[in-house]
Amino acid sequence: MVELKDFNRQESPNWCPGCGNFGIIVAVKNTLTELNFTPENTVLVSGVGCFAKLPYWVRVNGFVGLHGRSLPVAQGAKLANPNLNVIAFGGDGDGYGEGGNHFLHACRRNVNITYIVHNNSVFGLTTGQYSPTAEKGRKSKSSLLGSTEQPVNPLALAIASGATFVARAYAGNLKETVEIMKKAIQHQGFAFVDVIQPCPSYMPQHDLKYFQEQIVYVKEGLERSSKLKAMELAFKDDKIYCGIIYSGEKE
Amino acid sequence: MDDIVLRVGGKAGTGLVTATNILTTIALKSGYQIFSSKDYASQIRGGHNYHTIRISKENVDADSNEIDILIAFDQLTLDKHIGSVKEKGIVLINENIKFEETNEINFVKINILEIENKLNQKNLHNAIFSGAAVKILGFQWEICETVINNHFNHKKELLRLFREASLLGYNQAKVFFEYSSQNTDENLSLISGNDAISLGALKAGLTFHVQYPMTPVTGILHYLEKESAKNKKITVIQPEDEIAAINMALGASYSGARAMTATSGGGFALMIESVGLAGMAEVPLVIIEGQRPGPSTGLPTKTEQGDLKFVVNAGTGDFPLAVIAPSTIEECYTETKRAFYFAEKYQLPVIVLVDKHLTESFKSTDLSTEEKEFTFDYNKRINIITKINDTQLNEVGLFKRYDPKETGRTLPGTKDGVYTCAGDEHNAVGQIIEDPEIRIEMVHRRLEKTKLIEKELPLPELIGPEDADLTIVSWGSNFGVISEAINILNKEEKKVNFLNIKYVLPFQKEAIKSLLSKAKKLLLIENNIVGQLGQLIAENTGIVIENKFLKYNGQTFNVNEIYQEAKRWLG
Repeated sequence: MVELKDFNRQESPNWCPGCGNFGIIVAVKNTLTELNFTPENTVLVSGVGCFAKLPYWVRVNGFVGLHGRSLPVAQGAKLANPNLNVIAFGGDGDGYGEGGNHFLHACRRNVNITYIVHNNSVFGLTTGQYSPTAEKGRKSKSSLLGSTEQPVNPLALAIASGATFVARAYAGNLKETVEIMKKAIQHQGFAFVDVIQPCPSYMPQHDLKYFQEQIVYVKEGLERSSKLKAMELAFKDDKIYCGIIYSGEKE
Repeated sequence: MDDIVLRVGGKAGTGLVTATNILTTIALKSGYQIFSSKDYASQIRGGHNYHTIRISKENVDADSNEIDILIAFDQLTLDKHIGSVKEKGIVLINENIKFEETNEINFVKINILEIENKLNQKNLHNAIFSGAAVKILGFQWEICETVINNHFNHKKELLRLFREASLLGYNQAKVFFEYSSQNTDENLSLISGNDAISLGALKAGLTFHVQYPMTPVTGILHYLEKESAKNKKITVIQPEDEIAAINMALGASYSGARAMTATSGGGFALMIESVGLAGMAEVPLVIIEGQRPGPSTGLPTKTEQGDLKFVVNAGTGDFPLAVIAPSTIEECYTETKRAFYFAEKYQLPVIVLVDKHLTESFKSTDLSTEEKEFTFDYNKRINIITKINDTQLNEVGLFKRYDPKETGRTLPGTKDGVYTCAGDEHNAVGQIIEDPEIRIEMVHRRLEKTKLIEKELPLPELIGPEDADLTIVSWGSNFGVISEAINILNKEEKKVNFLNIKYVLPFQKEAIKSLLSKAKKLLLIENNIVGQLGQLIAENTGIVIENKFLKYNGQTFNVNEIYQEAKRWLG
């Protein structure tokens, strides 16, 4: 049996104190342990951004490639060896901006991999510019008068593009995040999890209190295989709805 | 006559390709060798396209601009190409086409309308002209019939029409040449540069090909997709763009595939960041770059050698990269195999640089005889480790894949083979680092590969007499016309030789410098405006070639042009 400590490396993450990535890396390690995935049969693929260093701090096969390009690398790795457990990581800038095209087509292609996006609605590694998921009006170093762009709706985009597993998690809730990640990995087909996370350095207004008020888990009562109902939920913006938004069969 | 040139021209979509296929196959089945090129517009219907088919008793690597038989499907073809028809040449046309009779040219007029009415079917130009051309050349109708039967194998009605129309065309024409059947070499087949690259890749054990369509290398995608439909071990993917293409290929190669991608200059521009990633993370990858005239969309269906400097400088920072420029269809096969060998052995990106003329021209050839040029154990993986010993592991059991002494890599799934394949600067196990000493060590580890590859490259050789008065320097698809021109010059006892540079990176500095410094007079011939190979030579050897013959109109050189130019420089 695999143990949690099997995934530890010598180095510790150097993210800022309070960064949501800590919650995500712990969730990833716990998920791999609970699924009994061995380090040699698991591949974590990432791109560039604060989040992208995650594979450097987990003792598994890692591929840290280019900004926005984790999805094509992950699909290639899985197609060439379907026995591998392949998990790709993206950031809201990396995955929805730079690699937006790959996201759309990975949903359509529906290769059996998992895609986890660290979403804090701000560029961290380049010091705080608004990101594709920032709300309209967001003021930042590169949007002094407020962003004039509509934010990307990654959940709706994924459902519309043909992904058969679409979920949202919150980095501050380890137990739920592990459950969602496990289901995503076990899904046969392309599984997408948007993980909401805080960035205390560049997005301090999204603090613990904000998330406590905003995060709501959808659990019962949703017909998860209905794309239209899932779409409705994906567009609901009074709160941040987490949980499995859509789960269907790969055709 | 040992050698004859046909040109088949008309609008796109009127059957030029079928007529060309039929005629070249008949010539091949009758025991002759072929080189055939096509010139086409970037449009699917209409416009003006033409195929030039050279039929020869001997091996040929070039087409020609001096035509023996012009098959003009329309008025425009006649007007455009009549000037290239040789004295006593033949023009095959529909009788409704306007032309001025001259004594220098034989016009063979076919009443297309009459045949079409007889068969109650329109658009039969290609069948009728094919039949007529077969008669003109003196080929046997029986061979023509067999070839047509094979071509339309599963389409009965089309086969019947084509055969009848061809026969009526055959009967209307008259014999001008005597191309009777001679001994056929059963092993010869018509192969394009794209086919040869695909076959080379398959021979070298390709298992994963990912390509976004782009002229002039789309033929590779089509060829390999057909192969993939027959063979489950080969995966072919058409991704969303070229960036996805190269990154998917890298992912596949990382997890164990022999992987390749192909594109032209514009697509390659999109791939460049990932070429650097392959160099940094040390992932084997073969990239085919088929040049067409740039910049931007340029002339998408024409030919040029304008990407040489771009390709050898592809990427930010310094990392090992190999660039091979084949110069014949046979070399497309051989050098693609070599590219796979280098990529896997040294774990780096290798680019095979070709151009439209090479990829989309056809030649009768037998690739099985090319094995002697280069071979490796195709079934054996190179530098892939399946068993790790303790000395190869760090303190927490990670594989020191990037250790200065380590030449192998593990594939994911290998027990104790875990490391991080990293695009960031990294230490022995792929951990991200910023330490200056480790940085230097890693830069050296990577750049060392260039030297090792150079040691394995065949040395460049001069073609022609050693004591020549003029040495032509060139590369790539110009090889065919230049070597033919040199043959003619040498027969006329004019001393000209030829240095064809095939391995452009790593550049074989010493060998090339030594050959060039012995030359009496140098002439650089390239299909671009600045003489990019000349610049590369100057950068590497200090030798500046002042005499240049450059072409950049989207067309290839022809033998006569080279012959005249060489004579001019000989004085």
